[in-house]
Amino acid sequence: MASMNQRSAPRALVVEDIKVDCMILMHMLHKLNCEAIAVENGKEAVDLFLEGKTFDIVFSDKDMPIMSGPEAVAKIRAMGATEVKIVGVSADFGGQEAFMHAGADVFLPKPVKLETLESMLKVVISKKNKSS
Amino acid sequence: MDYTNLRRQIISMKKSLFDQGYLDEQFNQLEELQDDSSPNFVEEVVALFFKDSSRLLTNIEQALEKYPQDFYRLDSLVHQFKGSGSSIGALRMKNECSMFKAHCNDRNLEGCRRSLQKMKREHATLKQKLETYFHLLRQVGPPERAVNSWK
Repeated sequence: MASMNQRSAPRALVVEDIKVDCMILMHMLHKLNCEAIAVENGKEAVDLFLEGKTFDIVFSDKDMPIMSGPEAVAKIRAMGATEVKIVGVSADFGGQEAFMHAGADVFLPKPVKLETLESMLKVVISKKNKSS
Repeated sequence: MDYTNLRRQIISMKKSLFDQGYLDEQFNQLEELQDDSSPNFVEEVVALFFKDSSRLLTNIEQALEKYPQDFYRLDSLVHQFKGSGSSIGALRMKNECSMFKAHCNDRNLEGCRRSLQKMKREHATLKQKLETYFHLLRQVGPPERAVNSWK
């Protein structure tokens, strides 16, 4: 597979409470030369943004303890983080409406495919290179 | 060591797991993610799945025995189980989880109990079969450390 430009490696945040799903997604992102970190619920994700952390892309599960994905997405957007690409991810197809209503850019059903991630990251990198 | 015969066994075993509906295409997707930098990735993911899902099964069983039953919590627990099972391609387990969720939706306690017993059987069977599969793989693969964390 084509490797991403190391100079503009996207920074990704994975918001996922199910360890297996998190492990797989993190592995895919590292395989695509993405700098990725993971948190276990929506509140931890919001806290990172409150701390001033920035990301190029966020992958968020829907149902999580403490704070759900859509709730976290709404809060992140309300903070003014409008540039970050937010991807809602869920095995529950009904999650699409919740995520899009909250301000996500796109919804992906689980399990996520590597090719889909690669395409998505290429767009993020392209946008990042144009703005730098 | 007869590697040809071992490889033949591995291919046959994997085909059998797919033909009998234990695994689906998602397992192939996981194997495609494995490379030289992460030669044990699939086994590590599967080990993590069995570690977490064993805990979930215990939680589901405990939740079923509580009175009154909290079908919302039961559905949530099985949803997690189903989700992670789908992520490793555990098709039979995923299907049995769907049955359980349907019983939850109908607030059918006996149906949930029967489904749980099936889930436990499928869980144990798949664990044993994959354990054998990875054991064979380790014999033909590079001399890597075996992952025993799921025992």
